[in-house]
Amino acid sequence: MKITQREIGNAVILDLNGKLTGGPDADTFREVFKSLIDQGKKNVVVNLEKVSWINSTGLGILISGYTSVRRAGGDLVVMHASDRIESILYVTKLNLLFKSFESEEEAVKSFTLAS
Amino acid sequence: MGKTDSVEQMILNIPSDLKYLGAVDAAIQDLAREFSFSSDAINDVSTALIEACSNAIEHGNRFDPAKRVVVTLRFNGQSFTACVKDEGPGFNFQAALDEKSPPDPMSERGRGLMIMKAFTDRLSFRYADGGLCVELAKHRGDDGPEE
Repeated sequence: MKITQREIGNAVILDLNGKLTGGPDADTFREVFKSLIDQGKKNVVVNLEKVSWINSTGLGILISGYTSVRRAGGDLVVMHASDRIESILYVTKLNLLFKSFESEEEAVKSFTLAS
Repeated sequence: MGKTDSVEQMILNIPSDLKYLGAVDAAIQDLAREFSFSSDAINDVSTALIEACSNAIEHGNRFDPAKRVVVTLRFNGQSFTACVKDEGPGFNFQAALDEKSPPDPMSERGRGLMIMKAFTDRLSFRYADGGLCVELAKHRGDDGPEE
C-alpha cells in the first residue's frame, strides 16, 4: 500500500493506494501517524478512493490511527470509501467510530465544525 | 453468458504472504462473474474469502514461508463453496463461533469471524490433513451480474 500526504487547512489528507491488509502496512501507517502527531497535526482524513479492499487487520490499522489522533486531541475520518468497504465498516459496526464522507470538502469541514 | 449448469473446481496453493491475497481476489471475482453471481454476491464472497486467507496466513501459518495455504474453490449453478486450509495448530473455533458479543470498538483485533459470518451463508471449521480448514458457502444471488 502506498500513502501520500497533503494538507488542506487544518487537515491532513492521507491518500491510500492499494490494499489495506496488515503486514508491513501496519508499520508504515504507525510511522506516518507518529510523525504527524509529533508535528502537531492531529486532524486526519483517510482517503480510501484507491483502496480496493480491506481485511480485519486493515481495520485494526485504521483503529490504531484513530486511537493515536484521538489521544492527541484530534480526529480521524474517512472519505470515498467504496460500497464494499462501507459494508465492511457497517457489519463490524465501525461506521459508528469512523465518520465517512463522500466529498473531501465535507471531510475537511468536519474538523472545523467539531472544534 | 455465464455458466449456470456445471460444477467447476479451482485449487490455489499460495505462500504465507499477504501479497498473494490479490491473486485470490482476482480468481474469485473472475469465477464468480463466470457463474453469473450478482455483483453484491461477488463482493461478499471475495470479502469473506480474503478474510479467511488472511487469517490462515497470519494466525494459522504465522507468515512461515515454509507453510502454504491451499484454497479450494467450487462453483455450481447456484452456489459457491470454498475451503481455506492452513498448516497451523488451529484454535478453539467453536468458542469463537459461539461468541455473541462484538469486540470492543477500540480493539484492533477480533473482527475476522464477524466479517466471514456476515458475508457468507454458511461458515464452518474442521481439521483435515494436518491443518485447519475454514469452509465458506454463498448463494449466487438472484439479480445476476451487472454489465
